[in-house]
Amino acid sequence: MKRSKRFEVLENRPIHQDGFVKPWPEVGLVAMESSLDPVPSIKVENGRVVEMDGKRREEFDMIDSFIADYAIKLDNAENVAAMDSTEIARKICDINVPRDEVLKITLSMTPAKINEVVCKMSVLEIMMGLTKMRARKTPSNQAHATNLRDNTVEIAADAAEASFRGFDEEETTVGIARYAPMNAIGVLVGAQTGRPGVLTQCSVEEATELAMGMRGFTTYAETVSVYGTEQVFMDGDDTPYSKAFLASCYASRGLKMRFTSGTGSEVQMGFAEGKSMLYLEARCIFITKGAGSQGIQNGSVSCCGVPAGVPSGVRAMAAENLIATLLDLECASSNDQSFTHSDLRRSARTLMQFVPGTDFICSGYSSVPNYDNMFAGSNWDAEDFDDWLVIQRDLKLDGGLRPVKEDDVIKIRNKAAKACQAVFRGLGLPAITDEEVEAATYAHGSKDIPERNVNEDLKAIEEMMAGDTSGIDIIKALYDGGFPDVAEAVFNMQKQKVAGDYLHTAAILDKNFHVISAVNEPNDYHGPQTGYQMTEERLNEINDIPWAVNPEDY
Amino acid sequence: MDQEQMMKAIVEEVMKAMGQTAVSSAAVPSPEDRNKVDAGSYPLGEKIPDRIYSRTGKRLSDMKLEDVINGNLTAADMRISPQTMEMQAQVAESVGRENLAGNLRRAAELISVPDDRLIEIYNALRPYRSSKQELLDIADELSKKYNCTVCSAFVRDAADVYEKRDRLRQD
Repeated sequence: MKRSKRFEVLENRPIHQDGFVKPWPEVGLVAMESSLDPVPSIKVENGRVVEMDGKRREEFDMIDSFIADYAIKLDNAENVAAMDSTEIARKICDINVPRDEVLKITLSMTPAKINEVVCKMSVLEIMMGLTKMRARKTPSNQAHATNLRDNTVEIAADAAEASFRGFDEEETTVGIARYAPMNAIGVLVGAQTGRPGVLTQCSVEEATELAMGMRGFTTYAETVSVYGTEQVFMDGDDTPYSKAFLASCYASRGLKMRFTSGTGSEVQMGFAEGKSMLYLEARCIFITKGAGSQGIQNGSVSCCGVPAGVPSGVRAMAAENLIATLLDLECASSNDQSFTHSDLRRSARTLMQFVPGTDFICSGYSSVPNYDNMFAGSNWDAEDFDDWLVIQRDLKLDGGLRPVKEDDVIKIRNKAAKACQAVFRGLGLPAITDEEVEAATYAHGSKDIPERNVNEDLKAIEEMMAGDTSGIDIIKALYDGGFPDVAEAVFNMQKQKVAGDYLHTAAILDKNFHVISAVNEPNDYHGPQTGYQMTEERLNEINDIPWAVNPEDY
Repeated sequence: MDQEQMMKAIVEEVMKAMGQTAVSSAAVPSPEDRNKVDAGSYPLGEKIPDRIYSRTGKRLSDMKLEDVINGNLTAADMRISPQTMEMQAQVAESVGRENLAGNLRRAAELISVPDDRLIEIYNALRPYRSSKQELLDIADELSKKYNCTVCSAFVRDAADVYEKRDRLRQD
């Protein structure tokens, strides 16, 4: 065939490097609206569920049992099951039906029912639902701060810059698992330097993550993964019961925690039981609710490429965020995984959360170059900071970031690198040289930083973890090293664990350590000019990008 | 408690402190109610820091950076107390979040379980790690040694489900 020049051009566009597949519902390779999903039902006898979504209790698997016993408000459940799903979908996006009224219905649903309801909704209606049902009134954003070499001083500098740019939470992780404590300390110290009150975590294996939280190296946890089929849960080396217990372990040490799940994980791991990705995700969100977690990170997360390959996949990601809010959970709405070669497509995917606003639009936004992102690349990277700022300005939307000046960022990165140097000195960790501090101050990524002696670092970490080094020692090291303000900030973060206010739904802290959550600032959106509105000060900040030209200068 | 009751409780506290006896009436809340909180007191660390104590009995409003530097505050002091956790559970309940309140009450029980043992118990609850008897022993330990009655019942529930679903350790 003689080739069309038009088609040759199209084939060379980035979108053609993405993978697309036709749905295959029988193995669960379908995002939503599968005819093989269970038909909603519930029967309650003597306060106990005896049938749910077409299964009798004798047929329940472990997930069914957990959901039936812990996750559903039963007093209204049979009435809700009898309601028309389209009617409920209309209430969800109707500005005249208050959030609380919707919760009275949705908290009594089963997974199949909530799945059926959100399948009745277009993305626009889902976004309306998110705007109204989001738990916290003010939307927010989370950053990743990681790098290829687990270079802690670089993590500290990037974390400081991310705080300074406006992120309220920051997450690090590791290349080499044994680096976890050092990276956790780096993101903690950096974040508190950039803007006091930012919450930090280090995503690693569950028991290790808990141990670091207990020591006060982290202030919250997120990677408490749950799955929608029993087999995949087992492969993930947990059960709904162990995860619920883990949730209580975190809370018992005064640590904020959320669960993580997402469409596509079950089919990717080969056990979707012929159910749609969204139905299985609904089960995950019910497990989260039943465990008493305050919130969830979802929106396919690291499995993003799977739903993105089939029709309505990106719609399903928005729908799962909506389900989280319908169960009155904090929702950190993903947008944190490279899934496409197309800049157009990754922007479209994010608008589903950016426009309505979520508790954390990205979870997280990579505050480092794509090559340094150890979560396999985010949907948004450091290179995109200015694009994000312009989208906020174009659409008059608060996406959590603010324009910054180069000299301010250089100063804050330098301070964080020096604070990290002081902490290493105080804790007896291998010295951070002045050369490293200088490099981290001006770096874009870890390729701009001198290499460290990895063996020496790991040996020192092992020795530190054999002892009882804690957040208190970090505070002392900062104070002794000439950073009393950062010491005070880390101390105030430790105090949060004593008060426990930030254990509540969708909690973040402002720079004065004032807790803002769905308890004291619940979302009250009910139409135009209600809910979250930017203050004049905030609007001016968003509008004032430094490279906009003053008309008088023309 | 509503605001009026709270005001009464405050007045009563002040009177007591002055060495007088508060006028007793049916409207004065019982000691139990007096300690109850709801979303109106939230954030507790900001609104009632003088009523928040660490697990070791240090008052939140007294905790200062200098105390860390001079060694008067240690890592053990940076821990939430069961009483504070119960207050947070009440706050959650007052805004209709019963599941979260339930989690916080389980957490209140687990405060007394040492770090290492807590991590061990979590690991024991992972699939194929424990026999049914081992899980039941943990349930006993939780209730008898640490007075964790809700968590104990939860572990028993898990043991039954694990047995039914064949997720116990395969010896």
